[in-house]
Amino acid sequence: MARVKLSELTAKKLLHNYLEIPYAGTDSPNSLDPSKKYVVKVDEGIKKRMKQGLVAVNVSVDEISPFVQQLHNKGYTNIIIEEFVPHENSQEKYLAIERVREGFKIFYSDTGGIEIEESGNIHEEIVHAENETEETAKIEQVLGVPQLFISQIMGVMNTYHFSFLEINPLVVQDQNVYILDLAVEVDTAGSFFVDNAWGPQDYRYGHIKDKTEEENNIEDLVSKSQASFKFVPLNMNGSIFLLLSGGGASIVIADEVANLGKGDTLANYGEYSGNPNEEETYIYTKNLLSYMQKSTSEKKVLIIAGGVANFTDVKKTFLGVIRAIEEISDSMKQSEVKVYVRRGGPNQVEGLALMKEFLEKKGLYGQVSGPDIVLTEIVREAIKHVE
Amino acid sequence: MVNIQELRTMDYKIVVIGSHHAIIQSIIDFDYLTGKLQPSISAIIAGGRKFERYFWGNEEVMIPVFPSLGKLPADLQQTVTLFANVSSGRRVLAYTQEVLQLPSILGGVVFAEDVPEEHALSLYRKAQSLHKFILGPASVGLLIPTSLKLGAIGGVDYRQLIDSHLFTEGNIAVFSASGGMTNEIIRIVALQNKRLSFALAFGGDRFPILQPKDAFRIAQQDPSTEGIVYFGELGGTDEYALADMIKSGEVTKPVVAYIAGAISDYFEEPPQFGHAKAMAKNKDESAKIKAQTLREAGAQVAESFDEFVKLIASLPEKSLTEKEYTTQMKELSQRHHALIATSVSADKNGVATLLGENLLTFAQNSSFAAIVSSMFLGKKIKSTELESCIDFILRLLVDHGPYVSGAVNTIVTARAGRDLPSALASGLLTIGPRFGGAINQAASNWLTGVTKEMRSVDFVEDFAKKRTYIAGIGHKKYRVDMPDPRVTEILAFVDNLEKKRFTTFARSTEQLTVHKKGNLILNVDGAIACVLLDILSEKEDYSDDQLQELVDIEFFNTLFVLSRSVGFIAHYLDQKRLDEGLFRLPDTLVADVRRK
Repeated sequence: MARVKLSELTAKKLLHNYLEIPYAGTDSPNSLDPSKKYVVKVDEGIKKRMKQGLVAVNVSVDEISPFVQQLHNKGYTNIIIEEFVPHENSQEKYLAIERVREGFKIFYSDTGGIEIEESGNIHEEIVHAENETEETAKIEQVLGVPQLFISQIMGVMNTYHFSFLEINPLVVQDQNVYILDLAVEVDTAGSFFVDNAWGPQDYRYGHIKDKTEEENNIEDLVSKSQASFKFVPLNMNGSIFLLLSGGGASIVIADEVANLGKGDTLANYGEYSGNPNEEETYIYTKNLLSYMQKSTSEKKVLIIAGGVANFTDVKKTFLGVIRAIEEISDSMKQSEVKVYVRRGGPNQVEGLALMKEFLEKKGLYGQVSGPDIVLTEIVREAIKHVE
Repeated sequence: MVNIQELRTMDYKIVVIGSHHAIIQSIIDFDYLTGKLQPSISAIIAGGRKFERYFWGNEEVMIPVFPSLGKLPADLQQTVTLFANVSSGRRVLAYTQEVLQLPSILGGVVFAEDVPEEHALSLYRKAQSLHKFILGPASVGLLIPTSLKLGAIGGVDYRQLIDSHLFTEGNIAVFSASGGMTNEIIRIVALQNKRLSFALAFGGDRFPILQPKDAFRIAQQDPSTEGIVYFGELGGTDEYALADMIKSGEVTKPVVAYIAGAISDYFEEPPQFGHAKAMAKNKDESAKIKAQTLREAGAQVAESFDEFVKLIASLPEKSLTEKEYTTQMKELSQRHHALIATSVSADKNGVATLLGENLLTFAQNSSFAAIVSSMFLGKKIKSTELESCIDFILRLLVDHGPYVSGAVNTIVTARAGRDLPSALASGLLTIGPRFGGAINQAASNWLTGVTKEMRSVDFVEDFAKKRTYIAGIGHKKYRVDMPDPRVTEILAFVDNLEKKRFTTFARSTEQLTVHKKGNLILNVDGAIACVLLDILSEKEDYSDDQLQELVDIEFFNTLFVLSRSVGFIAHYLDQKRLDEGLFRLPDTLVADVRRK
């Protein structure tokens, strides 16, 4: 995994706690103070919420529930409710910080707000890890925030493995700072080091989409495995199905489908790597095949392909793939699915021979090749079958 | 920065951090097939065992394993030049920081995925300031044909290494973020009848510590490289730096490239592909724009992968002379792991050997004590001091009367009409913590006291608190005013030693204990233990760690077991000669007791 958006509520709690600023945001409309005014927002990592009507500002307690209900009806389940902070537009500032090779890249403007991207008024500055505090002092002055405010935020980012953070608007009133809207991306590789401050339940994907059953199953597999698995449905009724290996080779093969003008018949992008065991490739393949069976396309082809692996055992992974195909091989044969294979790596001779014999026996054989053919040639052969 | 030419010619030593059997074996196979005299891997850092067995050709070698880098022997700490860190992403930072401190280390590779960005960047800064190189995170490593395989790169199956012609030096440098594609391209280069000058994988993370621009610089400086093959992916902006280097003339060697990721346009929103960096958030990070930028700078950038293969074929030729590997292939395909590994003796081609020496010559030229101590220690002893001391101990421990449990058991068994091995075994089986087995425990005590630099006062107090006896101290009969004459004789063996650390410690401990009680004197077990420790340390050059190993494997009890067997055998023969008949306890010698 990599950089993923974090729930705004979780991020705000961590940030305020670290800065020692009180914060009373919640996701529950219960036990709010009727004498106060509130802001209600969708917490799904979505950009430009205001323009999409996903925010209610300056509302009283009895207005909150109907609005929350309205959001629920649109499919948004994660919300954030916080006290309304009255302020002048001129008090809105902009601050974003991204982790870069040299240290942090700071984007800032003393005129923030929802039009910031259009305003073109953002300054950029790289702050080097070796002498942060001197370089940030100037920016703190421009924004009118307390001394060391930016250093402290960079401290939060290091402690909690944030890769990106954006506050817009950042409201400054005298010596008080209010973080109104906050967007954070975390580095998922850091999850082990943050002591449960955040976890997968806090990830947000910037959209609400009903995941397929197969995606959920594969996500479950990912959370339990050392190896890596990707599965992205592209066209539910597509005809080209990909079971690829290797982060780089899988993109090359998917590219070739697009290069040959078949991008819109591509049903999915799918890839495993990091030497999964037989059981794991079995579960992965089973889910891919289940997705394939649901497609209404009349002609279907399965491409099992990858480069010459460094350490992933071809024979072992193929045994799992074969087991999954075997379970539905009759129905695959009936619907005339053909399987095209190209792979190399440890135990390739045994693995490829096994696969060839199996596919021939089951009447699913399209082609089985080793590294003697170019990686992408298998795509051209497979596409002939669905043309 | 990596100097490839330097690595081609130097005699380097690799430490592998973490254990990954397939990768380690493939590095050793590479070394063997290139014709090196020994594996380039000097040590493995892992827990739980002292050695791991690997094939060297079709024989087996033991690669030493140490629990931490700090436990590497001093000579290795000084001489290790490269590292391969195959530990998990969670442990990469700490281990890599530690290994970079070794004085001769040039750099290495980090294999794990899932190293946090922040950790990768702090390693990046550390590597910069120390002028070391680090490939990764998530890198399969660095490969220089005929000289270096550092990581999984090129494959872990020896057949892959041979198929990809990694034993012939060529002129093509291969770079990729993707480990799989690095290997794929290595194979393509071979199929185009070209050979590598070197290949490396940056790893697919957002912040590779060694960057593509560094690799281009290395290739430009490498005298053997005449063409560069670059495989890039969508995500990140490294290609802009490469384009600048080509435009400015910093890189003049021909570059062919392919940037994967055009498929990204078919997704509703920018997808995260397999590698952490492989996500194009904006146009500048898209495959298309990056390819275009490189093309405009003067690189040959393929539109499709097929074209990429053709571009690789068009790179400069180099005439090749190659060896055949059919014999080695056959040899390696027939290898199998032995069931037993041994270093004591052998009997091959009709010649019996002890510790590698002809048995007959060994027997003719050595005393029994010299043979015993050499075999027990697993290597030929050097000093007459050890030989004469062990000779005396073997003679001294031979028997101590029929009353002790081992002798009684032997006698009872013999009288029951059993044979010699049964009677002897029955006697030997009583040797343990209460009878005869205290020498090793005493050695453990003295070793702990000395290596932890304890004061005798604290040492004695520790035992008092735990309410346990100090093995090596105390006697039933002898007292401080009536010393054990055997102990005096044993201690005489260290008279001419210089330091006598262990004997000094044992004696100062005794001075404290006899004040508590007169019979708490240094006994035979304690004296043998400290004297042997001192001789091994001063005359046989054993380090304290090596002495600890001898304690761990129970070396210090061997002399009693061997010597006292003589006594047991004597008691067996004696009983047979006397023909005493079956032993039965008279009723009067058995008490009926009830526990309250």
